[in-house]
Amino acid sequence: MKSKLILALLLAAGANSAFADRIDDIKKDGVLRVAAFDSNPPFGFLDAQTRQINGLDVDVARHIASKLGVKLELVPTNPANRIPLLVSGKADLIAANFTVTPDRAKQVDFSLPYFASGQQFIARKGSLQKPDQLAGLRVGADKGTTQEITLRDKYPATKVVSYDDTPLAFAALRNGNVNAITQDGSKLAALLANAPDKDKFEIAPFTLTREYQAIGLPKGEARLQKLVNDVLLSLEKNGEAQKIYDRWFGPSTKAPLPRDFKIGDKV
Amino acid sequence: MSPPAWLGYDWLAPRFIGWMLEGVVQTAWLSLLVCVAASVLGIVLAALQPSRLRWPVNGWLAAHRYTPLLVQLLLWYFGVASLLPEGAMLWLNAPHAFGPLTWPSFEFLAAFIALTLYSSAFIAGEVEAGLRGVPAGQYAAAHALGMRPWQVLRHIVLPQALRLVYRPLLGQYLAVIKNTSLTMAIGVAELSYRSRQVETETLLTFQAFAVATLLYLLLVLGTQLAGVRLQTAQRGYGDA
Amino acid sequence: MHSEVITANLDYLLLGSWPQGQLGGMALTLLMGLAAAALASVLGIAAGVGLVMGRPAWRRLLGVACGTLRAIPVVMLIFWCYFLLPVLFGVDVPGTLTVIAALALIGGAFLAQTVQAGIDAAPAGQWQAGLALGFTRWQVLRWLILPPALRMMLPSFVNQWVSLLKDTSLAYVVGVAELTFVAAQVNNREQVYPLEVFAFIALCYLLLCSLLAWAGRRLGRSPQQA
Repeated sequence: MKSKLILALLLAAGANSAFADRIDDIKKDGVLRVAAFDSNPPFGFLDAQTRQINGLDVDVARHIASKLGVKLELVPTNPANRIPLLVSGKADLIAANFTVTPDRAKQVDFSLPYFASGQQFIARKGSLQKPDQLAGLRVGADKGTTQEITLRDKYPATKVVSYDDTPLAFAALRNGNVNAITQDGSKLAALLANAPDKDKFEIAPFTLTREYQAIGLPKGEARLQKLVNDVLLSLEKNGEAQKIYDRWFGPSTKAPLPRDFKIGDKV
Repeated sequence: MSPPAWLGYDWLAPRFIGWMLEGVVQTAWLSLLVCVAASVLGIVLAALQPSRLRWPVNGWLAAHRYTPLLVQLLLWYFGVASLLPEGAMLWLNAPHAFGPLTWPSFEFLAAFIALTLYSSAFIAGEVEAGLRGVPAGQYAAAHALGMRPWQVLRHIVLPQALRLVYRPLLGQYLAVIKNTSLTMAIGVAELSYRSRQVETETLLTFQAFAVATLLYLLLVLGTQLAGVRLQTAQRGYGDA
Repeated sequence: MHSEVITANLDYLLLGSWPQGQLGGMALTLLMGLAAAALASVLGIAAGVGLVMGRPAWRRLLGVACGTLRAIPVVMLIFWCYFLLPVLFGVDVPGTLTVIAALALIGGAFLAQTVQAGIDAAPAGQWQAGLALGFTRWQVLRWLILPPALRMMLPSFVNQWVSLLKDTSLAYVVGVAELTFVAAQVNNREQVYPLEVFAFIALCYLLLCSLLAWAGRRLGRSPQQA
């Protein structure tokens, strides 16, 4: 009896999402809700002056919102809450350094990738040089990330301790609770550049994976997906994508990084 | 027409149920240690209430009762740890063995300390209520028999006081079990942490949270039932 | 200690991004705490009365519901209400309200137990006297039993309110911009002052909870003084 009721509810919920065309709802409400990081410069972070969330992902989201002709509303998220926010309908899109994986593709849809990165590590200077040194180390990761999964699968001798966000993992590294922390190299570079005590740490000179980041969308929203892809491709075409990249990773930034991936490149 | 895949009928693989059960063990173990330590500390704090230390003790109790446990956990793990000298942190984080016992992870240690201090402040309140419930005549009578104050407390007053507040104390122990869930914020691999880990790997949000919730219900209600049974059994024994 | 990190972020910690953006920080914590406390009190009294006056089947159902809510960690209930209910029922409630509702449910379940015990503790003579005077059961409860019982229960209510105010900190896990969440944001940006940031918000909570406890106790005294 009870289980039948739950089943009915589940089916009803499924039916709702299958019929809805999110793009119409967004235009009707006049608001695009985007899940963005609030503690991960330069992708999404709380600006010290304006007290608003800003960053590379936010710039991309702004263009999508303006293409839709609606207001942008940012939903602050940590890595672990991204997919729940999207599937529970609290956000229309994820723009939070969101790595494309086959497992995630079963739950959410992806746009074309607009960023590429690889899994790297921060450790005390000189303490981590090669991947085989990871065995036996305690490594801090973020809950709900691909890096957490990769470490558990490929480096079973490494003890993974997961935190709510990368700066908290870094705090644990600083305190000596973990020997290294792991994230996308680009994120780590910016985190380290912003650290007041950066001279004690370094990014270990190896990369475990090549990963691509894209906008996350609810399943089955083909029109929305096409619109997002069109926006991304036009950003690349009119040079805006390069401008956004340079604003956050260009030569004049704290953690310059050469751009080795363009939107539309083969992955 | 089908429900979204994450709500679908995929069940969690046995490997992931195994992770959750490991989480239960961690939750139970942490809860047990905290209950024991917090009871001892709580009794001491309650016994200090009538003494000259009353004001500092009250301040201590207020500081622990009137701030959220989550904040206390973050303060201990990230804040206080940053004050310790590097050598001490190295030692605390390194594995040590004492015979069959192994040194716990720093996450576990910080969780244990924060939870014990927090819970003892509430247990002290219950014990104090119990002490007030014991008639004053009993103190006088025991004194007259030549017992020292701590002997009076240990042998005469405390056993009665604890019996008086058995149910509220049981409630505090159940709260400890539930409160261990917050230690996931500092990386303790207890049940809530494990459920988020399973969610990360499988993306089956609904199933992961449902299993975790069910396990908490079993753990808390099971402890409650056992506690009530124990009380009834003891009463029966006392009456006989 | 580096107090600059607090002074530089004080307005954000106290008010969030208000007035340009949404209200957050300590102000939101206080509002959420008060709302949850008020709602929990109403729910608790209603459920407690229901546990005494309802039909047996309803009483059993209510008892099971309250017992279940009391046995679930608050964090778990917040997750359920925030991420899963919107999918089940297709309604999207803002995060702040979701957390208030979750806290009120748990607080109400605990207060229901208190209220039930308080009513049960009323001397049987009061019921008999009331009924003999021709009052209905509900009238006896409303006019004779409940007023003194609630005054007796006030300390338990105040404790519950304080604990709800503290539990608003758990909204951190779903990203509602209350005090603990904005403090984590500040801590993440500044990176090297966790002690200062978390000690400061601990003091904020201490202040808020002490004030609430003090105000609650005064509430109990005023009728006698009047």
